Amino acid sequence: MDAKRANRRPNFLLIALYVLIVAPVVPVIIQSLAFQWHWPDLLPSVWWWSVRGDVAFPLAWDYLLSPYSHVFSAAGNTLFISISVTLLALVLCLPAAKVLVSHDFQWKQQVLALFTLPLILPEMTLGLAFLAIFIPMGLAGTYTGIIIAHLIPVLPYMMRVLVSVYKNLGHDYEEQARLLGASSWQVMRHITIPMLLPGILAGCLFTLLVSSNIFLLTFLVGQGSVETLPTLLFAKMGGGSLDATGAGLTLIAMVPGVLLLLTTERRIRDYQRMD
Amino acid sequence: MFTLVRLTSILALSAVTTGLFAAQDKLAFRDAFLQDQLAWSEVTETARQEGAVDFYYWGGDDRLNVWLERTIAPKMAEMGVTLVPHRITATRDAVDLVLAEARSGKALGEGSVDVIWVNGENFYTLAQHDLLYGSFAPLLPNASAFEWDANDPRGLLNLFDFGFPTEGREMPWSGEQYVCAVNRDLMPVDATPHTFADLERWLTEHPGTFTYVKPPHYLGNTFVQEALYALSPLGASGFQQPLASFTPESLARLMAPGMDYLRRLSPLLANARNDLARYPENDSALMTLFQNSQTAMECQFGLYHVATKGALGQMPPRTEEIIFPVNNMIKNKNYLVLTSNAPHPAAALTFINYMSSVEAQASKLSEVGYPLGVDLWTLSAQDQQVLMAAMPAHFGVTQTELDANIAPDIHASLVTVLETVWLKYVEQHSDRPFEDLVRDAMAP
Amino acid sequence: MNRTTRQWLALLPVLSVMLLLILGISLYAVAQSLGYAPIYGIDAFPTLHYYDLLWQQTGFWQSMGLTLYYAVIATVLALILGFFLALALVKQGRNHAWIHTLYKFPLMVPYLVAIAMVILIFGQGGLLARLSFALGWIDSPAGFADVLYSHYGWGIIIVYLWKQVPFMALSIYVVLMGMGNDTDEAALLLGARRWQRWLYVVLPQVIPGITSATLICFAFNLGAFEAPFILGGGFPDTLPVMAWRLFTDSDYNNRLTGMAAMVVIGLVLLLLIAIAGRLSRRVFQWQGAGHGR
Repeated sequence: MDAKRANRRPNFLLIALYVLIVAPVVPVIIQSLAFQWHWPDLLPSVWWWSVRGDVAFPLAWDYLLSPYSHVFSAAGNTLFISISVTLLALVLCLPAAKVLVSHDFQWKQQVLALFTLPLILPEMTLGLAFLAIFIPMGLAGTYTGIIIAHLIPVLPYMMRVLVSVYKNLGHDYEEQARLLGASSWQVMRHITIPMLLPGILAGCLFTLLVSSNIFLLTFLVGQGSVETLPTLLFAKMGGGSLDATGAGLTLIAMVPGVLLLLTTERRIRDYQRMD
Repeated sequence: MFTLVRLTSILALSAVTTGLFAAQDKLAFRDAFLQDQLAWSEVTETARQEGAVDFYYWGGDDRLNVWLERTIAPKMAEMGVTLVPHRITATRDAVDLVLAEARSGKALGEGSVDVIWVNGENFYTLAQHDLLYGSFAPLLPNASAFEWDANDPRGLLNLFDFGFPTEGREMPWSGEQYVCAVNRDLMPVDATPHTFADLERWLTEHPGTFTYVKPPHYLGNTFVQEALYALSPLGASGFQQPLASFTPESLARLMAPGMDYLRRLSPLLANARNDLARYPENDSALMTLFQNSQTAMECQFGLYHVATKGALGQMPPRTEEIIFPVNNMIKNKNYLVLTSNAPHPAAALTFINYMSSVEAQASKLSEVGYPLGVDLWTLSAQDQQVLMAAMPAHFGVTQTELDANIAPDIHASLVTVLETVWLKYVEQHSDRPFEDLVRDAMAP
Repeated sequence: MNRTTRQWLALLPVLSVMLLLILGISLYAVAQSLGYAPIYGIDAFPTLHYYDLLWQQTGFWQSMGLTLYYAVIATVLALILGFFLALALVKQGRNHAWIHTLYKFPLMVPYLVAIAMVILIFGQGGLLARLSFALGWIDSPAGFADVLYSHYGWGIIIVYLWKQVPFMALSIYVVLMGMGNDTDEAALLLGARRWQRWLYVVLPQVIPGITSATLICFAFNLGAFEAPFILGGGFPDTLPVMAWRLFTDSDYNNRLTGMAAMVVIGLVLLLLIAIAGRLSRRVFQWQGAGHGR
């Protein structure tokens, strides 16, 4: 196909993606800036900024950016939980992934299959069971409890990414360094780690995202007393309606995903192939 | 005698300061306080040492959230107590937490919940499981702002919560009345319903223009209660006895007219399909329907909600309050309860006391729009004026009219039966005989 | 220490955590549905009483049907649409390379975000309803189609599709790209419009590769809570929502019935995995990418 001609034609895929993926964000943005948006107005009749001074109560973004909305503390909690889960998962998966890639052994397929299971267990089942187990242990409503619970959905992703990282690594450089007389520590420090690092980083960012997008598990295990961005959002829109602050929260809840998409997309694409 | 009491209290206090045997100290403190042997200054001093209070409350109202953190928290900080607000989506969660911690052996001083904003069923559950600190409320300095005389009918709401004796185990801090509002663009004044028959007539002509929150949400329960009252020959008074005083037959007879009515109404409600209604889950879902002009009328707790939500742009411009249903608008109080395994009981007492102060009540009225918890007539003329000045406006009705049509909640022990029967009979249109449903719901 | 021991030592921590958590949770869930719940003051193990109560719930079978309906329709549609999106992406080649970033946006945000968008756009007071009003097609919000808050409504399915079509597309895309030596060759192959070749060469290679992704989507849709809770039609609810309502009921006995409902979902899933396993022996082999949630 002639590339130039393809460029001149309207790109239907691009248009479709804009309409279906980018356009739905627009009403959320408008709603987050609305003070009054009654039926049947297509645009808000009163915008938030025009009444900011008149009401003693912080409205829309004033509320979200104030400490009273708990947005910052919830974002902090989200980050803390996801970083802890990620580090824990990394420590658990790093040695295992190497073995799974570089050695063949009995039960290998079964071990790999085990890492698909958590993706199939409903969060509701996990949450209800964890809650009943954690309450007597004093772990319900704590960060520790939530971090342990998050391990189930996070471990499979971490394992997948690390396995692909090791697969792409190749052993040539390590072998050469060894032939040239490097000790195994030197090989580790100067060859293995620098080569692994970008992939590990991409994997970590991805599991950070998986963890920070979890709602139900956090909500059930945290018993509502640990606020994260998704639980804050659910509290706002659980009834099926969305006001200005709810819309603003929706936008805020998109931030981690958008950031990840923009910064590491390429890197992740390189590592997502598993074969 | 007096010196002896003082001495024990000082001993108790010094034991607290040493920080040893925390649970025993807190027990000693509790016993001394509940026997009125502690000066208030000793309580505030202990509160300062405890340093924090964990307050669990329904966090669905932004205005309340902001008020607690912007206005109340700094005041508590002045008293050396950090207010830790826990916003929960259902009060039941906090009750469950206290219950679970008690079951796993956590005693006074070892739990994680100090104070819960409760009323009705949740207070009843706490009492049934013996999870309450004790009769502390009349001992607080600001108890003077409430009518505690059992012979004065005006004090009933301080003494009974859903017909269940409070015995001072919870402190009133806010009042409420279940009020319906209509959008005058959709419903002219002469079509205003004042009885349930009026409402049914309106809905037959304008199907889909009304709905109520789904029980077991308390906003839905209350609407159901009002229907039960208004359509039962005995009125509200028939529902003030504990569950044990009913047989399945007698309770079924009492509830049948109201439940029949609600079942008949369900195909006429908003979002009803195939005779089953899709009830909104909470007040924000209810308000979205109302704001979008999909419904012409909505009912919720909120004596001033038209004024306060209107100020935030959340009401259609021509919204008015109405008197509905005549003589059966439920009015109640809600309370702050202190739990039996509270980690910071003295700080909790200080917090609860401050919440009933004229200062806190006035700022709550003007910033949040929740009605008074204190009883106006017990206050000085000057305090009365401060509070009167802070009251938000009414639209379309007067306070006198609203006061003239009040009714109490049903007895707390009946709430679960009401919820279960509503779910089966009204929402799910169960085919089983009504009396069987009531009997099952009453079974322990 | 021999080689095998060292290997197992490296695997031990993560394996024991996984086994402990997954087996522990699954066994506990089953035990609780069979009457073991000292934390709620109930210890009647073993009893089928709570399953009895579950069958007796009014509308249980409707709930079951509704749950399966949403899961099947959404998964099948996501598979079909994902396939076409993947084809379009392959044909796209290196033109507008950032399309490959754009289409993954739904994968990166929580389901609640998708639900929020659907509420604003498809609600009866939503943007499309207002547009229809402005164009004179309807005269009140109630005149707009029952997309949300209705049984078998499209609101829930739209949310699933928005999130899962990109996921399916990504999985299929990876398989398609793996077939040719490089992008151009794959595009050439697909651009050839040889439908027989399609049927006999491409599909047989694609299907095993996407079984795992399909299963993950289906399992998610079967057990999902947020979308059916917020956008569903009320009673009868899907099973997870029913479980939630039973769990939050004031009667502690109902919590065990709620757990029984979730165990039933687990059994449906096991049945499905067994069927899928017979169809494709590579269910658990790691093909495609793993952007499930």
